[in-house]
Amino acid sequence: MLRWFNKNKKTDKKAPYTNEEWIELLSEPPNGQAVQELRKYLVRGLKPALSKYVDRELDQFVEDVAQDALLKVLDNIHTFRGDSKLTTWAMKIAVREGLTVLRRKRWNNISIEDLKGPNADDDSGEIFSEVFSSGSPTPELTAAQKMMVEKVQDIIQNVLTDKQRKVITAIMIHDLPVTVVAEQMNTNRNNVYKLVYDARKKLKNEFEVQGINPEEMLNNLSGE
Amino acid sequence: MLRAVIGTKEEEIGCDDCFDKLDSFIEMKLAGKSPEQAMPLVQDHLQRCKDCRQEYEALLEALQNLGSEV
Repeated sequence: MLRWFNKNKKTDKKAPYTNEEWIELLSEPPNGQAVQELRKYLVRGLKPALSKYVDRELDQFVEDVAQDALLKVLDNIHTFRGDSKLTTWAMKIAVREGLTVLRRKRWNNISIEDLKGPNADDDSGEIFSEVFSSGSPTPELTAAQKMMVEKVQDIIQNVLTDKQRKVITAIMIHDLPVTVVAEQMNTNRNNVYKLVYDARKKLKNEFEVQGINPEEMLNNLSGE
Repeated sequence: MLRAVIGTKEEEIGCDDCFDKLDSFIEMKLAGKSPEQAMPLVQDHLQRCKDCRQEYEALLEALQNLGSEV
């Protein structure tokens, strides 16, 4: 009863609030006015931030994202440490929420199981190009260059685990978002990033062990 | 891909740590300070991770549009 009274008392004030006031207003039971103020703030920020990714019904999309983000903010208000303004922290959560939904939509027809890796049988050159030169036009490879490429492919095949090859293929060759890969692997983004990091480290070490200079290789392949 | 392999460092942070610090990183940026120097590991992660970089850019866009609101 006392808590409810205190909450009602705070509706006399309007935003801007201090972080302490926001925490008090958004903690259970949350203050309706403050929740609406934060929702409107999120909507106003999300529109320009997401407009280039949404081709239709931006207003409705942003309203839905703001609503879902708001629930996350309320559920996690106790974790806010005050390293920034509360509104910045909330907007960070909302932006991630919106982009996650968009990534899911954009990639929902792609399965990481179906992606061609660097050792795919179809060596049309497309995969070579993506692996070695970030998608620039496929160069005509000389015999020596082709040998180098095959050596690196062998290293990728022999040094990395299946999981590491899978994430490297999806993220670094086919440019899938980490978020999407994580969801398809039933894990989280941090774990997928760690898999990629471990794979990069392994490859770097193996290149050193085998005396391969990747910089030189890149220069050779691009004809520099 | 090879460039990413070459650039691998001993110390890197993951997406969770980056997300954790992103709000204070971006407020420093908006205040005209140099978060790149104050938080080099966050800056490094943003350069490596497309998902986090996209979120950083969208957040910056949102906050720049809101200006000094709330």
